[in-house]
Amino acid sequence: MTALCREACCSVTPRLTVSELFERGFRRNRAAPLPIEGAAFTDPEGNTARFSVDVTGDTIASISFRTSSCATLIAYCEYLAEITVGFRFDIASAFTATSLVEALPGVPALKRNRAVLAVTAFRAALAQASDHLSSVTEGSL
Amino acid sequence: MKVAYIFATQRHNVSYVLAKMILPQLEENRHGADVVGMFFFEDNNYVLVDGNPIGARLHKVAQDKGILLMGCDQCCYEREIADKLFKGVPIGCFPDLYKALSGNMPDQVITL
Repeated sequence: MTALCREACCSVTPRLTVSELFERGFRRNRAAPLPIEGAAFTDPEGNTARFSVDVTGDTIASISFRTSSCATLIAYCEYLAEITVGFRFDIASAFTATSLVEALPGVPALKRNRAVLAVTAFRAALAQASDHLSSVTEGSL
Repeated sequence: MKVAYIFATQRHNVSYVLAKMILPQLEENRHGADVVGMFFFEDNNYVLVDGNPIGARLHKVAQDKGILLMGCDQCCYEREIADKLFKGVPIGCFPDLYKALSGNMPDQVITL
């Protein structure tokens, strides 16, 4: 089975374009954080990002984030938040800034470094979730 | 006097005010003010797409005179042109614009 195209050329919604990810991410960015929060990170340009997650066992149940109001950064974060729900932590952690840039074409080179911040903050939340899972598992023994 | 232009409204702004007033005056060194930057909103960003004939003249003048050109990032993403602008023309939002102009601040910002 072939995956449906979710870029701007096709009518499949929700589209995974920077513009539409930003629109959805803008709303998610204002939502209350989820129970497990990762560390906040800041890039040299002053942009910040912090993810929070809710988990079921060792999988991601839902994702939220708080970032600076940069459209590119919000779109990158929203992509991670939409795509990785249902993933195990270890699989989601394998997502790199390079793969994020490749997954979201249309971002000019000068703005692609936002992917590094997004992935760093995302991984920090996953690390926090793993720690949380470990403590829950140890507590039940 | 140093000025920056913000192209915020549409209609005749790029094809007339920019292309038939500001740009020829800049090309002929008789604009009357030093233009340090131009920022484009909404459909005005199409002038910055590589290959646009008005944009090509603007890009050349901007390079010759050190004028900052910048497109609104959300406007460009919405139009799927963010990675199709003239070489070296960035996209950004107000923090990027102010930062880019900080080394050569305008005395007046003119919204068109």
